[in-house]
Amino acid sequence: MPDEDGRLSLLLSLADDELIIGHRHSEWTGWAPHLEEDIAFSSIGQDEMAHARLLYELAEPLAGRTPDELALGRQPKEYRNAVICERPNGDWGYTIARHYLYDTADDVRTRALEASSWSDLADAVKVIRLEETYHLDHARAWFTRLAQGPVTARDRLTRGLEQAVAESLALFEAPAGEEALLADGVVARSSEDLLAEWLGQLGSDLEAASLDYVLAAHAPVGDLVPTSSGEAEERPTLEVPGIERRDGRWVHTGAFAGEGGRRGRHGEDFQALWEEMTALYRQVPGASW
Amino acid sequence: MTTTTLEGQVREVLATVPDPEIPVCSIVDLGMVERVAADDDAIEVDLLPTFIGCPAKDIIGQEAERAVREVAAHREVRIRFVLRPAWTTDRITEAGKAALREFGIAPHWDRGSGPVVVPLMKPGSGVRCPYCGSTRTLQESSFGATPCRAQHFCSACRNPFEGFKEK
Repeated sequence: MPDEDGRLSLLLSLADDELIIGHRHSEWTGWAPHLEEDIAFSSIGQDEMAHARLLYELAEPLAGRTPDELALGRQPKEYRNAVICERPNGDWGYTIARHYLYDTADDVRTRALEASSWSDLADAVKVIRLEETYHLDHARAWFTRLAQGPVTARDRLTRGLEQAVAESLALFEAPAGEEALLADGVVARSSEDLLAEWLGQLGSDLEAASLDYVLAAHAPVGDLVPTSSGEAEERPTLEVPGIERRDGRWVHTGAFAGEGGRRGRHGEDFQALWEEMTALYRQVPGASW
Repeated sequence: MTTTTLEGQVREVLATVPDPEIPVCSIVDLGMVERVAADDDAIEVDLLPTFIGCPAKDIIGQEAERAVREVAAHREVRIRFVLRPAWTTDRITEAGKAALREFGIAPHWDRGSGPVVVPLMKPGSGVRCPYCGSTRTLQESSFGATPCRAQHFCSACRNPFEGFKEK
């Protein structure tokens, strides 16, 4: 995939994030803890895939490939989604932690894109945001519910955050060619600027739930909760690379975990997802259904 | 003069095209028809999608084209989906609201006060039950059988019902 056009990099970053996390959400169909959540994640997944398609339509003339070709006809290394989006759903705690982190981050970046000088993108983002507001409410409601306990729920959410926080920062890894996009006003603000805003908001949210220690190197709260055998469970200390607390705010200071998604670097998890997601398309190229 | 009449005819036939998932409402009732332009060569219709991932969108486009062809004579028919302005629930007509209610989908504007966003089950969503008219209702989930519907429950008549999702 040619990389020279910054607009294409930007669109693929946004669209691939939505497609891949939408695919993960769809995996809850038939398996969520109760029927309403089964429907909720299926519906959110359907929305996210539709947003991806809309963005691929904008990308079509730049990429010279149709939306279907972009969604299903690329090799794994051509996808630009952040690594956090491709991680398996894990348990409900991880799912909610990632859902919350992803949708709060997506809210920050799409709000900024409403001011894009590229009117087709600004229009698309405005329509997308009318639907994303439901995803954000859903994520926040579940975040709060699990954070308020009981202990098992809070502990699972905490573990989920410990696993997801570091990699979620890389949602703000800049797409290739961002400087030119800034100069043209296609993006109004840099990825670093957006990350700073999101980190500030994340710090406040986590602090309000007394969960902000997941941003620091820490001993997980599980250490305080004995297992049924009465023994504290061993868990490794988590460090979130690339951020530190200065003057009461979390700031980004360098590289981060999960970096490389925007340049097509993905893990084993992505390979398995890609093989399943594209199986039919690869067997019957051009199939429609 | 003829142009105006033709545009009127096009709007009339569009008013016969239903939303396949809510057959009592036409795409005109739902406020999906943004623009109709007609001249001697072509008829152009711009439609707004309600929800981006609405699976009925393609069918609606095909049905609109079929309906417009009835009055198009020799003219080319061009149906497009556009994103500006963004479709919102405010665009649903009074007739559309009445039809939705009759169909058993509560329109969110049946609520007394301003918009309330209820992400998880919460008492007092206040949407009027389309069956018994009570506002002692709760929203069970923002997500339902289609991208545009939410799930409610009426504490008065003990019926679950669907509501149109506010945008």
